[in-house]
Amino acid sequence: MSKLTDHIRELPSRRDPPYRPLATIDDAERAEITSKLGSTENYFDLLQLRELIKEDPDNIEFRRAMVSSIASAEYAGVDAFSRKVCEWQDWDVPWSLIIAMARQTWDEVRHSQLATGVLESYGGKIGDYPDTLAGGGPPPVMQSAAGGAYAAAAESLFRDPVASLSMVNVSLEGGALTAFQETSKLGERIGDELLAHCYDYNWADEVTHTAIGDYFVKALCQDDPEQERKALRAHAFFEMSRGPRLNDEQSQELKEFFAEEIQRAHAVLGGSH
Amino acid sequence: MTTVVRIDLGPCINCSLCRRACPTETIHYYSTGHRTHVVDPAGCIGCDLCVQVCPMECIYPDPGYVVDAGQLEVAKGKARDFARRQHAAKLERKQRARRAVELVAAR
Repeated sequence: MSKLTDHIRELPSRRDPPYRPLATIDDAERAEITSKLGSTENYFDLLQLRELIKEDPDNIEFRRAMVSSIASAEYAGVDAFSRKVCEWQDWDVPWSLIIAMARQTWDEVRHSQLATGVLESYGGKIGDYPDTLAGGGPPPVMQSAAGGAYAAAAESLFRDPVASLSMVNVSLEGGALTAFQETSKLGERIGDELLAHCYDYNWADEVTHTAIGDYFVKALCQDDPEQERKALRAHAFFEMSRGPRLNDEQSQELKEFFAEEIQRAHAVLGGSH
Repeated sequence: MTTVVRIDLGPCINCSLCRRACPTETIHYYSTGHRTHVVDPAGCIGCDLCVQVCPMECIYPDPGYVVDAGQLEVAKGKARDFARRQHAAKLERKQRARRAVELVAAR
């Protein structure tokens, strides 16, 4: 293991102002968000934030909340992809993949700058709202869940390039395509040219990120059905965690996939069924 | 005349936008055995929604597939159910937003 990787792993994720995950805010801050947005749940739900803006385009606070929520994920992206640039050098992956992660880090930096700029145009700033995603792994409440087993499982998945690329680049960034397209359309609808332009720009980058992920997953899985299965499993795992947004038959397809996975695990472990 | 679509797997980046947009849920991924998005033509109504959302523009009409009238009716029924569900979800979001706006204004 390289010294750089060791060093990076020991470093806390830092931002100024510091990350403040939504799961860790106190009752006073929850009450403040409720007074601004109607409920804290509205802040966590990008679809609902867009709906609030459509309902009352003159309420600039709704726009501040929506862009704060997106900015939070962009900052987490800078943290996540820059760590990959360092950590994945210890893995047997093509150098071009490391360079692709470096490129994506800079894309996330630019997206963070864009989001910060849009937020400032509304009179807001980073830290006004808590973070919907915080860099440097799951928040404390998740880290302690199931005696730390959940965090350990997530950690191990995110440190595997095939699984990580499937979950983050292909599934998450693929999902972000819709989020940014809809946000850009919202900007057009309410006459907010800056919002429309910035998120159209972001959308184009997300297409590239998804393409990067898919390209390298294909390369790493070539002629290796087990690796390909792992990539599918990681994609399914990630999509399952967003279950409520799936339709009936899509959920059924996922359930059948996992049922097959359980059968495979039984077979490997020597079970009868 | 309904013309079903097919996905050109070469440029496809597996972003899943087509799968999420499909009103008949006839685009499959996890059951294909590979990391490939595949249209089951038996469930396709040729609505082109997947074509419109594809960022790689790699979904094309497949005029060679002969559509079975019975299958098409079943698929259209599924699409109508899908549209009803989408509409109901949209209305619910709108009502929630309206309540929130009223609540914020009242404070």
